[in-house]
Amino acid sequence: MKKFLVFLLTVLTIAVLAACTTGEDAGEETTDESETEAPEESGTEETEEGTEEESSGDKVLRLNNGIEPTSLDPSIGFDQVSWDPLNNLMEGLTRLDQEHVAAPGAAESWDISEDGLTYTFHLREDANWSNGDPVVAEDFVYAWKYMLDPETASPAAFLGYFIEGAEAYNAGDGSADDVAVTAVDEKTLEVKLEAPAGFFLDVLTNPAFFPVNHKVAEENPDWHAEADSFVGNGPFMLESWEHDVEMVFAKNPEYWDADTVKLDQIHFAMVNDTNTQYQMFESGELDTASIPPELSDQLIDGDDVFIGPYGGLEFFRFNVTAEPFQNKKIRQAFSYAVNRDDIAQYVVKNGVEPAYGFISPGFTSPTGEDFRDVNGDLVSFDAEQAKQLLEEGMAEEGYDELPAITLSYNTSDTNKAVAETLQDMFIENLGVEVTLENQEWGVFVEAQQNLELQLSRSSFINDYNDPVNFLESFITDSYMNRTGFSNEEYDELIANGKSETDQEKRWEYLYEAEKLLAEEMIAMPIRYYNTVVLESDGVSGILRHPVGYFDLKYADKQ
Amino acid sequence: MDMLRYMLRRLLIALVTLWIIVTITFILMVTVPGSPFSDERSSNEAVQANLEAHYNLDDPYYMQYLLYLKNISMLDLGPSIKQPNQTVNDLLGRGFPISFELGMITIIFAVVSGVVLGIISALRHNGVLDYLSMGFAVLGISIPNFILATLFIQKLAADWEFFPVATWSSPMHMVLPVAALATGPMAIIARLTRSTMLEVLTQDYIKMARAKGLSPWKITFKHALRNALMPVVTIMGTLLAGILTGTFVIEQIFAIPGMGKYFVESINQRDYPVIMGTTVFYSTFLIFMLLLVDIVYGIIDPRIKLHKKGGE
Repeated sequence: MKKFLVFLLTVLTIAVLAACTTGEDAGEETTDESETEAPEESGTEETEEGTEEESSGDKVLRLNNGIEPTSLDPSIGFDQVSWDPLNNLMEGLTRLDQEHVAAPGAAESWDISEDGLTYTFHLREDANWSNGDPVVAEDFVYAWKYMLDPETASPAAFLGYFIEGAEAYNAGDGSADDVAVTAVDEKTLEVKLEAPAGFFLDVLTNPAFFPVNHKVAEENPDWHAEADSFVGNGPFMLESWEHDVEMVFAKNPEYWDADTVKLDQIHFAMVNDTNTQYQMFESGELDTASIPPELSDQLIDGDDVFIGPYGGLEFFRFNVTAEPFQNKKIRQAFSYAVNRDDIAQYVVKNGVEPAYGFISPGFTSPTGEDFRDVNGDLVSFDAEQAKQLLEEGMAEEGYDELPAITLSYNTSDTNKAVAETLQDMFIENLGVEVTLENQEWGVFVEAQQNLELQLSRSSFINDYNDPVNFLESFITDSYMNRTGFSNEEYDELIANGKSETDQEKRWEYLYEAEKLLAEEMIAMPIRYYNTVVLESDGVSGILRHPVGYFDLKYADKQ
Repeated sequence: MDMLRYMLRRLLIALVTLWIIVTITFILMVTVPGSPFSDERSSNEAVQANLEAHYNLDDPYYMQYLLYLKNISMLDLGPSIKQPNQTVNDLLGRGFPISFELGMITIIFAVVSGVVLGIISALRHNGVLDYLSMGFAVLGISIPNFILATLFIQKLAADWEFFPVATWSSPMHMVLPVAALATGPMAIIARLTRSTMLEVLTQDYIKMARAKGLSPWKITFKHALRNALMPVVTIMGTLLAGILTGTFVIEQIFAIPGMGKYFVESINQRDYPVIMGTTVFYSTFLIFMLLLVDIVYGIIDPRIKLHKKGGE
């Protein structure tokens, strides 16, 4: 025993000494020859890779998904990490085209009834699943009813409420049979809506409405959990999926438009550290990457940077049930005191646009204009006006001194920077000192929901390409309201803005609604979101929609 | 026989400890505000109610608690709320072997190099080698591993391209994370070994051995080191449990698919079954490691008898 111990230690010691010496050697090499050797090494590596790819002729795109997708079940994975990949594995009745407009997808054409309530979709004859089965109307019926089933507990189910009978079924008050989606024949699908919705074709591009191969799903409810059993109808198919490590997509030969697809393979890494994924991009292990916040100033103006709009808004909610924000003029005063240009340019950076309205640019009206251009700037920065409004508001409420105000945000570096800037602006432009408070996400959301916060940070990301998606958050008692705001006129505008069949008229209601929201100053817009991506040379055609999930159908790599 | 009885007693204590841990964790979980379903995304009441019903979160707390105890007694840690296609058993079953592999390599490297550094400094007390290795150890303790990791990636991987930047597939991929992770423990072990070694070397029995004319080699390894290692063994229990169950930061930086992330993310996401699963798993592992340490004591120092109660 003792001898054994001595022996063991000796062996280990020798091993370590050996390791140390090689380590030292390596260290010396790096200091002595790094300048000459390193570039050579990288050079050979690159050429090797190059020849490898050329010889096989395969176009392989290397992307980073950040983390493991929540789920590749279209009804369950209600987030970007799931729906970005899924949007390339499957296809709904409609698919966003290169102009970001809903175009024919699995459906070749459709008829809409006069009253705007009944949609009849004609599926493509050559739309097939990756296992060879034809895509049939029953696949959509099955998928949508599955999504709406309360037992499924789909977080995306509310998107289906446009369909007649859907809300009742999902809330447990109706039955699946009453959901008005029917397979007329193999390739014809009929959908009846609860009320006309001019943007329904756009809603259908959302992955929540993707079909599910009902034969496969009935046999194996976990068909979406592994690559072996996954069946899709999109431009790519799931070749392999090593959980938490990598997904590999290959071109789907069964896809009806397979000739358009240029890539042979896509690798989705799962690297969740912004610095690491940037270094991998730099060393050629990834073809696209996001910009680490520390490097934003340095990289944002580069040639390899893609900057595009992203349908979303960062804003602050006023709690109209808490003093002093029950007063409209005081709310307006706070909004006037904010210099949004400065926040966008110097605090958030990364090329974001300041928000002078609620609806981000990129929503095209029936007459072809941009929503934002038509409704113009609804808020502005004006310190004089701010001070005057504050005075008037305080007089109305009989305040000698403004009640204490706390501005709350969920803990993050950017949120903190924005909150501190706002605090400064309120002191400088209003003479009001607000207290800052940061909370952990879960705690924060619950407090905001329960109207326990006075002035709190919020953000909104569009689920479908219509302004009503954001605006309807603020109708009375909406789950997303979180401000205590209730206004009959606003509720009516939104009701009409959803169901009016005359599209131009419908948009008029929405313009009015946004103006009313700004006039009442229920929420204070700060800046719009954007998409900023580094793309390596030779990568082209990745479609990034302002609203929706990215599309690699047209992507190419030289 | 005595040994068997001792083990049974330890097992019983372990079970009671685990039950207390589960109960406290459960109470803490339901006390913390927030829900696994609060999200920046749109939602509504019906959807939220369906989700809660799906995961039995609408049951009274005592029902949830009893259900959990029942499942866990059958080693079923439940479904993950944030990864609905996976059970907690799946997640841990996949992540733990990878964390274990990384941790094991790290520990071996840290212990061997730490002990060697410690012995060298003790033998060359106040000499150049002592100052060098202790200087190295102090650096190792003071520089957090995520700084080292970032530095390694920037210099060794990105600039000089000696190693791949991240992910976990070949031995080359393992070099940087192991180096970053091992430096801290190595430094701790080196300092510990040095100080106890110095103490041991001044004791009478070592002088006796010298006087007897034993070789310095034999004195160091056979007589001194054996006693000097006791404190190192003591900290090994917690160190092993900590490192083998994954480290959030290093795994995140190097994109290693281990289980470290679940400890942190589950709490942020209020993924209750995963919070509970990781806690139970870690506790069990730690209890087991501590037991192992107690047994190793007995091997290294025959004076320590496990099966005799202290004082008997």
